[in-house]
Amino acid sequence: MKNTILETISLNKWYRDPVDFQALKNVTLQIERGEFVSIMGSSGSGKSTLLYVLSTLDTDYTGKIIFDGQDLSVISPNRQAEIRNEKIGFVFQFHYLLPEFTVLENVSLPALKLGKFTHDQIESIALEKLSLLGLQDQAMKKANKLSGGQQQRVAIARALINNPSIIFGDEPTGNLDSKNSQNVFDLFKELQHELKQTICIVTHDINLAGQTDRTISLHDGEIVKP
Amino acid sequence: MELEKTINWSNDALRMRFKNPVFKIAITHLLAKKRQTFVAMLGVTFGIMVFIFQAGLITGFQDTFIEQTINTTANIHIYNEPDRNRPSILASIEADTTRWITVRNQKPKDEKNKIRNAYQIIALLEQHPGVAGVSPFLGTQAILRSGIVQYGGRIAGIDVDKEDLVFHVSDYMTQGDIQRLKTINNGIILGEGLAENLGVKMNDNVSVIATNGTTLDMKVVGINRTGLTEVDRSRAYISIRNARVLLNVDNAYLTDINIKLKDINEAEQLAMEFEKRFGYKAEDWKKANSNIFGVFKIQNMVTYLIIVSILIVSGFGIFNILMMIIYEKLPDIAILKAIGYKNKDIKMIFMIESLAIGITGGLTGLLFGFLLTKFIGSIPLNIKGFVSMKYLEFNSSPAFYIFAFFFALIATALAGYFPARKAAKFDPVDIIRSK
Repeated sequence: MKNTILETISLNKWYRDPVDFQALKNVTLQIERGEFVSIMGSSGSGKSTLLYVLSTLDTDYTGKIIFDGQDLSVISPNRQAEIRNEKIGFVFQFHYLLPEFTVLENVSLPALKLGKFTHDQIESIALEKLSLLGLQDQAMKKANKLSGGQQQRVAIARALINNPSIIFGDEPTGNLDSKNSQNVFDLFKELQHELKQTICIVTHDINLAGQTDRTISLHDGEIVKP
Repeated sequence: MELEKTINWSNDALRMRFKNPVFKIAITHLLAKKRQTFVAMLGVTFGIMVFIFQAGLITGFQDTFIEQTINTTANIHIYNEPDRNRPSILASIEADTTRWITVRNQKPKDEKNKIRNAYQIIALLEQHPGVAGVSPFLGTQAILRSGIVQYGGRIAGIDVDKEDLVFHVSDYMTQGDIQRLKTINNGIILGEGLAENLGVKMNDNVSVIATNGTTLDMKVVGINRTGLTEVDRSRAYISIRNARVLLNVDNAYLTDINIKLKDINEAEQLAMEFEKRFGYKAEDWKKANSNIFGVFKIQNMVTYLIIVSILIVSGFGIFNILMMIIYEKLPDIAILKAIGYKNKDIKMIFMIESLAIGITGGLTGLLFGFLLTKFIGSIPLNIKGFVSMKYLEFNSSPAFYIFAFFFALIATALAGYFPARKAAKFDPVDIIRSK
C-alpha cells in the first residue's frame, strides 16, 4: 500500500514579469513517505520553482497541493508558516545560517519558534542532531567560523530539529566541491535509511540524482516521462 | 572602551538566555553596526535632552508665573465696569431714525466705580462653599512722588488682615511688616521696583497724589516683591481707610472685591455665577491674564515645533540604519521565513531594534537633560523679565519626564514601523533566487 506524503494535481505557474512565461505546466506528481526523490532539469526548467511551490514558499500558482492530507492552496500565510516550521525542513544551496549566532543557536531556531519544548530540552535535541551529523564539538562556535561543508551539515541539522515530514533541498550540494558534495549527499541517504526521512532535492548533478530512489525530470516546466 | 564593555556584557547576558530568538536577532543586528547604532541613539538622546531642557525651561517658567499669579492675585475679581459706550442721549429720546443726530465728544457718565452694597456682597461670598477667602479692595491710579522723582502707580487700599489671609502678602515682604499699615497711621508698602524707581528706602517719605488732586504724605513701612515684574513696579499698598481719604469717598466705598477660591479650576464657572448674581463684572484669573496665556500658547507651539523637528531628524537616523541592516540581512530574513517565522516575527525584530535605540537614546536623553537643567538651574542669573527670578526654574515633574520618554518611544516606533513592515513583506523566494 502506498503512503503518499505529498501530491500535486495539475500545478500551473506563470511569471508575469517581465514577460508572460509559464514556469510550470500541468505538473502532477506524488512523493511517498520515506522516499528520496530528486528533481532534475537544466537551468530554467522550473525545478527550483517547483520546489518553492511544493514547500509553500511560493503560493502564486493554480492547481492543488495535498501535503500530509492537507490542501495547501486554501490555507492562510500564517498557517503556511506554521507548516513550514513544524513539518518541513529546508536546506539551501547557500547554507543561510545566521552568521553571528553559534551553531547550536542556529540549529535551535526552528524549535524555539515551534515552542513545543523547553529551552533545555531544545538544546539537548539540537546537540543530538549535531552529533548525528558529527558536529557536536562545533556546537559553541559561531556559524561563520565553519567551513562550507560543515555549514551545510549544520543547515541539515537545523532542518531535522523539528522532526519534519519532509526535507526539501534546493541544490544542497551546489556550492560544495565534489568530495564535500558526496559527503553531504551520503548524509541524506543515511537520514533516509536510518530515520526513514522523506527527502526531496533539486539538483542538476546527474550523478547524484542517479543515486536517489527516483528522479523527476523537468523540461520547460513539464515532467518528462522517463 | 566603555561601550565595548557594555556590549560584551550584553552579549554574555544574551548567550545565557537564548529563549527568544527574535530579541537576540534584533540585538545582534544592532551590535553588528555599533557605530551607526550609536549615532542613531545619539540623535534620540539629543532630541530628548533638548526636550527636557527647552520645554522644561518654558513650562517651568510658565508654571512659576502661574503659581505666582495665583498666589498673589485674585482668582476672581469683582468690579464695576463703567459703561464707556453709552448710546447717544439724544438717540434715546429721538426715536425717529430718518434724521441724523450728531453728538460730539460724548464722555462717559460721571459715575463712580463704587460697588454698591459691597460689604453685603462680601458677607454672602464668604459663605459660598467654593470660596476660600474674600478681601475688600479700593484701587486707584495715583502719582507717587519723592522729591522731584515721580512715578505713576496703582494704589491698593486693603483690609490688612483679610488681604494677608487671602493673598499671604506677608510672605512676599522683603523689608518691613504688613501689620505696620495698621499701627502707623500713614504707612505705605511699595513694590520693590517702584521703591527702586522712586529711590526711597524704608521709613522714607513719599507723597501720593490722587487723580482728584488730593495729596497724602506717607511713610514707607515695607517693601514687597511678588516676582511679577509688572506688579512690583507699580503697586503700593495703603490701608483702605487712607485710600478713602485719598479719594474723598464714603466709608463703604470699594472698587473691587478680590476672591480666593478653594479650587482655582472653578474660577471661570464661578466668575460667571457671581457676575449673574451680583450684577457686577467678575473676571477670573485666566481671563485677566489672557494676553499672557496667549503668549504662552505661542511659546509652547514654537518649542514643541523645534523638538518635533529634532525628533523627526533623529527618526530619519533610525530609519536609515534599519534600512541598512535590512538590506544587509536579507538572507537572514529569507531563512527565518523559510523555517517558519511569520511576517509579524520579522516585523517584531526590526521594531525591537528601533525601540531599543529609542529606549536607550531616550533614557540617556532624560539623564543628560536632567543634568543640564540642574547645572543651568544652579547658576544665579537674577533675571528680570516679566517674572523676576534668581535662578531659572525648570519643570522637573516626573509626569513631564514620562511624557518626554513616551514622546521618544512614539517617534522611534514610527521611524521603525515602515522599515519593519518592508522587511516583513520581502518574498523569501526572491531573496533566495537573487543570491
